[in-house]
Amino acid sequence: MTLLELVDVTASYGPIQVIDGVSLSVPEGGAVGILGANGAGKTTTLRAISGTVRAGGTIRFAGRDIRGLRPDQVAALGIAHVPEGRGTLGQLSVRENLMVGAYLRKGRQAIAADVDYCLDLFPQLRDRIGSRAAALSGGEQQMLAVGRAFMARPRLLLLDEASLGLAPGTAKTVYEAIRRLRLESGIAMVVVEQNANLAFSLVDTATVLETGRTALTGTTAELKGMDEIRRAYLGG
Amino acid sequence: MRNPLSAKPLSVEPQSVKPVATGNRTVRIVVLVLVAVVLLLAPLNLPPFANQTLVRIGVYAVAVLGLNIVMGYTGQVNLGQIFFVGLGAYVTAYGVKQGWNILLVFVLACLIAGVVGLLVALAAARLGGLAIAMVTIALPIVGVPLAKRLEGFTGGSQGISARFTDAPDWSGLYNDQWQYYIILLVTAAGFLLARNLVRGKYGRAFGVVKENEAVAASMGVSPYRTKVLAFTVASIFGGASGFLYLAAVQYTSPETLSFGHSISLLAAMVIGGAGSIAGSLIGGAYYVLVPLLTNAVDPGLTTVSQGAILLIVLFLLPEGLVSLPRVLRRITGRNRDRPGAPQRTVPAPAPGAGSEKQADQHQTEHQAIPDQTDQQQTIQHQTGRQDQA
Amino acid sequence: MGTFIQLVVDGLSTGSIYAALALAIVLVNQATGLINFAQGGLAVLSGYVAYAFVQAGLPLVVAIILAVALSFVLGALAERFLVRRFERGDPDTAVVVTIGLLTLITGIIAVIWSYNNLGFPSLFPLTSVDILGAVVSVRSLATTVTIVVIMVVLQLLFLRTKLGLALRAVADSPASSALSGLPVGRLLMVGWGLAAALGAVAGVLVAPQLTLTPGMLDTALVYALAAVILGGLSSPIGCVVAAWAIGVLENLVAVYVPFIGHDLKIAVPFALIFVILILRPQGLFGRKVVVRV
Repeated sequence: MTLLELVDVTASYGPIQVIDGVSLSVPEGGAVGILGANGAGKTTTLRAISGTVRAGGTIRFAGRDIRGLRPDQVAALGIAHVPEGRGTLGQLSVRENLMVGAYLRKGRQAIAADVDYCLDLFPQLRDRIGSRAAALSGGEQQMLAVGRAFMARPRLLLLDEASLGLAPGTAKTVYEAIRRLRLESGIAMVVVEQNANLAFSLVDTATVLETGRTALTGTTAELKGMDEIRRAYLGG
Repeated sequence: MRNPLSAKPLSVEPQSVKPVATGNRTVRIVVLVLVAVVLLLAPLNLPPFANQTLVRIGVYAVAVLGLNIVMGYTGQVNLGQIFFVGLGAYVTAYGVKQGWNILLVFVLACLIAGVVGLLVALAAARLGGLAIAMVTIALPIVGVPLAKRLEGFTGGSQGISARFTDAPDWSGLYNDQWQYYIILLVTAAGFLLARNLVRGKYGRAFGVVKENEAVAASMGVSPYRTKVLAFTVASIFGGASGFLYLAAVQYTSPETLSFGHSISLLAAMVIGGAGSIAGSLIGGAYYVLVPLLTNAVDPGLTTVSQGAILLIVLFLLPEGLVSLPRVLRRITGRNRDRPGAPQRTVPAPAPGAGSEKQADQHQTEHQAIPDQTDQQQTIQHQTGRQDQA
Repeated sequence: MGTFIQLVVDGLSTGSIYAALALAIVLVNQATGLINFAQGGLAVLSGYVAYAFVQAGLPLVVAIILAVALSFVLGALAERFLVRRFERGDPDTAVVVTIGLLTLITGIIAVIWSYNNLGFPSLFPLTSVDILGAVVSVRSLATTVTIVVIMVVLQLLFLRTKLGLALRAVADSPASSALSGLPVGRLLMVGWGLAAALGAVAGVLVAPQLTLTPGMLDTALVYALAAVILGGLSSPIGCVVAAWAIGVLENLVAVYVPFIGHDLKIAVPFALIFVILILRPQGLFGRKVVVRV
């Protein structure tokens, strides 16, 4: 029942090797966190999965080797990537952003229903449905980015630093909504998050990356029990 | 040194670059002296046509150099460089006709072009990217009918001719040789000045503004003033090129500053190598030699072959002809040991202003926060313990 | 009064040609972020292709439709095999690539058809009608109406269709659009194809008036660029309005302001640009780009 499996994945930007042996596995409907210091290769790991950076090793999704596919091909297989920096389409309205998310889908009514669901999930967006995304606040943009990813009805959601640059309260709201999304839709997730408290509120297991390699993997409870993890990521 | 990611490029660079650099120094001096000797002796042994061609290369190299400063180095699209060349040429022709001292004429050609450039830049530099391009397009577009109109100064559509570069008797030189030396002198001075400019404080400011205006502003570099400066310098070089143009051709007309020529200058700059002093010289050579070449092959196919050559060069060398040695080295180096070692050190003016996309991505991925090393250490402990366990 | 109306209608007609080219430029710029200097050259080529079809005995309308369709294909191919390689690189290089393309196309046309002027049949009758006492050419009116129709169709395409939404998304951010499964490469080809087709329309509309020469649209391209800047790169309607304004204004100024006359009338749009950009850097209709970091 493994949905996504990474074995010894490597990736580099030009001559600079950024990840060098990342392995992780996400079960159907599961949620895995990726922790690690800045530069440990968390974002690059997500990019390797979504095909936005060229990778080596094995990346298997739903039993199929997806390494080397273009980002749009990966998306078409059911992987939605909410990139670092949100990637909302600034000149398009909130509704249009959501519709772009549903680009590969057919069925007007189902799509309309999902737009409603997004607005229900993120009520702040309802009032701003006609505004351009560039005019939204950071928190609203993040909500929109998650909403747009959901609109594709993916089997797997890649979430990169959804709390980055947000006020603590806003970040919490965003994560609560994502948690609800996970419970109600059963979408599997890979969550990169600097704030481990937020990550642990969402995921079942987590992988710690260290300088581009998988250092250890454990359940949320196991990891929370480790002194070093607590000191490094949980602020205590 | 704890972070191997940041350590990797650091440790590679000194090893690969340093020995080459010291070896280069003596080689470079020898080469420079050789080039100087060749440049000085060449006109005495070449036929007049070759000298005239070299002279024209010098003329356009200066114009391309100016364009490179504003565009290649500072990143402001300028489609009107030819206007300043034409302006310089007209000022020179007028001054010579009035019988002014030739040095004064030269200074005026540079100065008037510079002042007009400054005025245009004061307005245009307020605008972003493409708007500057459009304002500068207007210069040759409006310049041509204007030059036709102002007959008193320009001689109208007929143009205006002025001879002032006949070799004096004491020199014992032919006219083409005399012109060659004048242009060699001005061109060499221009290139030396430009080289010092782009390697110094202002050059760094140009680079930062090109990379990211917000970063520039945050470093205390005014993007507006930097752009105005670059544009003005480019105009001065344009004016100087105009002076040289008249020295070489001894005639100018509205055709000199036509938009088509401005576009060709731009193409020559990119073909030579944007953001490269040597590239400007190659650009000047390209501007002069390629039409000669295509004409010689088949006059009926001149335009087609020029377009084709332009596209082929850019396809093979998107960074211009100046990158040819680097590309060759990369190709030959690939067969040997180090595949991706950075061959060229990019003068990175500031953190966050990396000049290659790769560097940028690397930057965002690894932006250091103060307590990073602490975390890193903790994790290393962590894994150490795990391994034992 | 009669002269005035005539000048305005003729100005609208030439302005419409600028408008079609301006729209093509905006399309390409929105899709790939570049200014395509070959836009006029591609349009001229379409004119010659239509001419060749007419020579081969096809009816004019069929020849034009075929030429427009071929231009779509040609534009898409140019994007895929020429411009694609430079899209992510230095924008200066990309611009020079389009200049190279322009030179190449001009050269090819000259080799096949020579630099001599060729007469091109008009799609519209060369009669004139009487409007408020002014003699107005049917061709001018019809040209203007054609551009209005095309503009409305384009607007509908962009705002009401899925393809339009996808094109706008790619224009906004290709990388981010790909994450939603949009086939970015194919959409860019469509964008270039549409632009080339639009240019083709401009080419066949103006060819009867100017007669076909390889450099037929060089000046028009400059006017179109002026319109693009005046109207704002993000506003198709703004560009069309600006193009019309330029067409009308230069006609009026050339006749009513003797100091400027026909030789300097090209300065008018640029003087206008200069003043307007100082006051409103985003163009008359463009939106200020608000970016939150």
